[in-house]
Amino acid sequence: MADRGSKGFSAASKGKAIASKRGSLNGRPNSSANIPHINVLSDSDSDGFVEELPRVNYKSNGKAASESLKSGGRASSKREAGKGGNAYNAGKGRKGTTASAKSDAEIKLDLDMPPNSTILMNCEVAELLQEIHEHMAILSEDPKIKMPESFDKAFQYAKEGNHFTTAQSVKQVLDPLRKYGVNDGEICMIANIGPETIEEVYALVPSLKVTRSLNEGPIMEALTALADIKAAKSDLLNLSSEKYLI
Amino acid sequence: MFFHIVLERNMQLHPRHFGPHLRDKLVSKLIKDVEGTCSGRHGFVVAITGVEEIGKGLIREGTGYVTFPVKYQCVVFRPFKGEILEAVVTMVNKMGFFAEAGPVQIFVSNHVKIQKESEVRLKVIGTRVDATEIFCIGTIKDDFLGVISDPGAAV
Repeated sequence: MADRGSKGFSAASKGKAIASKRGSLNGRPNSSANIPHINVLSDSDSDGFVEELPRVNYKSNGKAASESLKSGGRASSKREAGKGGNAYNAGKGRKGTTASAKSDAEIKLDLDMPPNSTILMNCEVAELLQEIHEHMAILSEDPKIKMPESFDKAFQYAKEGNHFTTAQSVKQVLDPLRKYGVNDGEICMIANIGPETIEEVYALVPSLKVTRSLNEGPIMEALTALADIKAAKSDLLNLSSEKYLI
Repeated sequence: MFFHIVLERNMQLHPRHFGPHLRDKLVSKLIKDVEGTCSGRHGFVVAITGVEEIGKGLIREGTGYVTFPVKYQCVVFRPFKGEILEAVVTMVNKMGFFAEAGPVQIFVSNHVKIQKESEVRLKVIGTRVDATEIFCIGTIKDDFLGVISDPGAAV
């Protein structure tokens, strides 16, 4: 799975080149390589990994290859771009990797859940799953009932990712940000990450940069308030551990 | 990211379960069938939090089973592109490492020395959906991403 996936793991700009390489691996003459092998790209296994590119990018890959002075045969690689094999190597050129490095940082949160869903922060989930877990502890006397593995993993994850004492306090701090153009997904990200500085927030949630002038002040205040809640939690933990030392 | 969502499912029940506890039997069957599963659209169903509505049952022709449309609320977990997650490293190989965040596995192509059980903060840059699994790729190459703690320092 990893091997197959690794072909798809490469950056979007290499997507077409990879598709053409696979075409040539199949042993078919790659005369149609100018048209990308969309079938491969749209295969459900690689859905989302590799993005379809317009033809312009494909050509620009060839151009980039000719510009970057790698090894000899640049001109030939351009001519043979149709064959696909060389184009894959050309696509491995510097331009491809730097383009992907830039785009990774700028990848914005892409939420497409149905409209009747509510986002839950890790702290809220931890509390919710704690209740269910206690319920289950009573019911688990019945040997037929067993909690699925994903419940335990998700519960563990929510507990460990929770930096705060109560979900209510976090909600109170972060809800006012909605007035300043911060949407639910972004609020949830801020709560889950538990950032310490404002720069961290903008680096990790790049979509907030768009309305930076509007939301910078409120986010700074929210961060200070969250830091207090975090401090309260660590004090609580210290107190409880001190109890055992005595 | 976790979501609270209302889903609907058609549950089939054999007539031997009919009686005063029909509803309870239906709910336990629902929990058994749905909890722990994964769908491409909604992600992993972590836990069912409540049943909103159980519709009228329809007897299926030929079998005698009855189909009930059930609306239920549940907590789902689904990773999204662009999301920042804190994950625990489960396996390291030459190409990079695998990390786990809740029920989801994430692969990061990386060449920094990293140990199993380290905690890392990563950004999801791609997702793939199978029939029963969601798999992601991530990166730790951006600002404020990377190893949070090593297993030695964790205690």
